[in-house]
Amino acid sequence: MDIELSKTDLEFQAEVRQFLSDNAYKPGEDYNKWRMNWFATAAAKGGWDVPKWPKEFGGPGWTPSQHYIWEREKAGKNLPWDLPFGIGMLAPVLMAHGNQKQLDRFMPDIRARKVIWCQGYSEPGAGSDLANLQTKAELTEDGKHYIVNGTKIWTTVAHMADWIFCLTRTSNTGKKQEGITFLLFPVKQEGVEVQPIITLGGAHTVNTVFLTDVKVPVENRIGEEGKGWTYAKGLLQHERTGLAGISNSLVALAKLKKNARSIIRGNGTLMDEPAFRSKVAELEVDLHALEYTELRSLANAAAGSDPGPESSILKLKGTEIQQRLAKLTVEAGGLHAAGWGQPVGPAFAHSGMQSYLGSRAYTIYGGASEVQRDVIAKNVLGLKKKSSEKTRTGKG
Amino acid sequence: MNFDLSEERTLLKDSISRFVRDNYELESRIKHSQSSKGFSAENWNSIAELGWLALPFPEEDGGIGGNQIDTMVVMEEFGKGMVLEPYFASIVLGAGALRRGASDDMKEAMFEGVIDGSKQLALAYAESQARFDLHDVVSSAKQDGEDFVLNGNKCVVQNAETASHIIVSARTSGGQIDTDGISLFLIDVNSEGFELLNYPTVDGLRASEITLTNVRVNKTGVVGEVGAGFEILQAVANDAILALAAEAIGTMEMLYTDTIEYTQQRVQFDQKLSDFQVLQHRMVDMFMEYEQCKSLLYRATLEVVENREGAQRSVHALKHLIGKAGTFIAENAVQLHGGMGMTEELRIGHFFKRLTVIDMQFGNSDYHLEKFAA
Ligand SMILES: Cc1cc2nc3c(=O)[nH]c(=O)nc-3n(C[C@H](O)[C@H](O)[C@H](O)COP(=O)(O)OP(=O)(O)OC[C@H]3O[C@@H](n4cnc5c(N)ncnc54)[C@H](O)[C@@H]3O)c2cc1C
Repeated sequence: MDIELSKTDLEFQAEVRQFLSDNAYKPGEDYNKWRMNWFATAAAKGGWDVPKWPKEFGGPGWTPSQHYIWEREKAGKNLPWDLPFGIGMLAPVLMAHGNQKQLDRFMPDIRARKVIWCQGYSEPGAGSDLANLQTKAELTEDGKHYIVNGTKIWTTVAHMADWIFCLTRTSNTGKKQEGITFLLFPVKQEGVEVQPIITLGGAHTVNTVFLTDVKVPVENRIGEEGKGWTYAKGLLQHERTGLAGISNSLVALAKLKKNARSIIRGNGTLMDEPAFRSKVAELEVDLHALEYTELRSLANAAAGSDPGPESSILKLKGTEIQQRLAKLTVEAGGLHAAGWGQPVGPAFAHSGMQSYLGSRAYTIYGGASEVQRDVIAKNVLGLKKKSSEKTRTGKG
Repeated sequence: MNFDLSEERTLLKDSISRFVRDNYELESRIKHSQSSKGFSAENWNSIAELGWLALPFPEEDGGIGGNQIDTMVVMEEFGKGMVLEPYFASIVLGAGALRRGASDDMKEAMFEGVIDGSKQLALAYAESQARFDLHDVVSSAKQDGEDFVLNGNKCVVQNAETASHIIVSARTSGGQIDTDGISLFLIDVNSEGFELLNYPTVDGLRASEITLTNVRVNKTGVVGEVGAGFEILQAVANDAILALAAEAIGTMEMLYTDTIEYTQQRVQFDQKLSDFQVLQHRMVDMFMEYEQCKSLLYRATLEVVENREGAQRSVHALKHLIGKAGTFIAENAVQLHGGMGMTEELRIGHFFKRLTVIDMQFGNSDYHLEKFAA
């Protein structure tokens, strides 16, 4: 056991720092131009624009410790905005299950951030029980198209998206998980209606997507008909490991302390008040532990074995930590954190409230915490469910 | 021993409950919240006509002679609809200070209008640097002949935007955190040098930042004795905490009952969410926290009304638990509603936001735990 970074890792760390500072946004610069340049420069470094992609698809082929270094170094820096749906969710499915034509057609635009994708999984009746999805896809008689009908809900950025990757039902026989088919189609077309859902605090990021007789060419199906669940499950794992947000939490914790120190209390600051201080300290303890939980998981991956039980803990604990950080920031803001519409009091108080409201979703999407605990109980601890096990896999 | 409400108070509770049910559908609340005043003038008139504004005033001042128990009844029901009308700001805070400190002339000039709703009060006690300390006051009031001249800033003053008169704490002597030397002034909002920056708060209510620049107040505008405003403030703050806690209790009740109802309807994995034991236990915990808060509310309210030893400590305990349990109940109500809990469409999220703000008002959970332990 040791935790030293090797000489090559240290060199890599220096290179990452250099890269991030050389390409940082300069005030006054055209943002979009900078953003596109940033990705192009990162690509020229040898796949730094798609760190998690494997080498054969243009990724950098980093070792786990290099990934770790990248995550830590970029946290808190002003990187160009990016969405996980194309790069982080669909691309891995395409790599694993797409045919060459699909790879050629979709991968370059995903990589260049030219096309915005959204994820059409959840439905009104299929949230945690995703396999219960009912959006129907029927093959036309000539076998050339699917006709898709149904409703997707909570679809993040559907109102901005060009394309959607969508789970549909092509068969009702057998288990719920069978008969699910993975389709890709453009959002801006006849039969697709996107309706905003306003979430706490007035933000519009999620939508309901109504699908009425949407015509999807069979070439846009990933893999085999009826096997979509298997493909999607792999994707969910990608989604979950990305959600722990440990690097960002470390940055957020440092900010929280700095902000709390800016609140003067008598001869000290808010960080000297016992109750607040001990809550921050407890949070830091949990975060320090989780940092090593992540490292243990990375080490397993480096050794070529399965991510191990540690990885199941990451999403659960990581999101809870993010929520506590947001809550403590609100508490630090004091009375002014109530201000809305226009910032009053310390600047962090206002953004803190926004983060707090938004953070409540972290333990709901990407596998709600309760369901995540079920997964750990079953897959890690080997605890079997009795009665519900049957209904879970029973027919839908 | 008996914790039942008297017949009169039961009638009061029923009529307020009906008012809230009839007027506080989420849609109406949102509409009124976004209107120019931030509440409904019509509702405010009804509340006045029904006599609820008169409740805590002594009979000799044209009131009904109620006490904190009556306010508790009102606020608990208001909490179930997140009522927007400035009952708390005008009747509990503003009038609370006047009831304790106003001269006979001031009472004469103010009470009738406050009770019929034509005058509206607010209390400007908080300052940015003070966090939750009522005695941390740097706004100053300097005597100049018959007048006091006020300078300084006040922050997050609830419902100041529509108030006709605002009671402002300012220092007439002493250092920044001395309890002595704080005075309260009744100020007409149209006074020269009195400036408001109005904004909505996250819970759909309204607040203002106030700047005082050489605001002149005649010495007859002092509420209570010069330099002795802190005692009044502290008593008003206790009333405020009891009222906010009662409101929170109403809000918590809605959150846990809505959650029970929702989980009994929502089916996932071919069963009702309410059939999952882990969710049952969570709802049991929410319910228990609610009941514990209610017990402390009764304890603190009765001890304050009966002026018992230990009342102050119970008020601290209450506000601590309201903050802590409120967070637990609100966060879990959202969690158990899944994505639906995150929408503005359900009232769950609105209750969540209100409880979050209640925790900050008059000292948060940590603040009062510390005072309780001290
Ligand atoms: C902000 C946001 C963005 C989202 N973005 C997307 C997106 O882009 N694409 C997409 O497809 N979906 C998206 N989702 C949907 C998300 O995946 C679902 O909300 C999630 O799967 C939970 O489903 P639900 O909302 O229907 O809640 P439900 O499944 O109804 O769950 C409600 C509650 O019951 C609990 N519960 C459910 N089953 C069990 C059980 N077996 N045992 C114990 N407890 C249980 C849950 O943990 C939760 O607390 C998003 C959601 C949010 C809030």
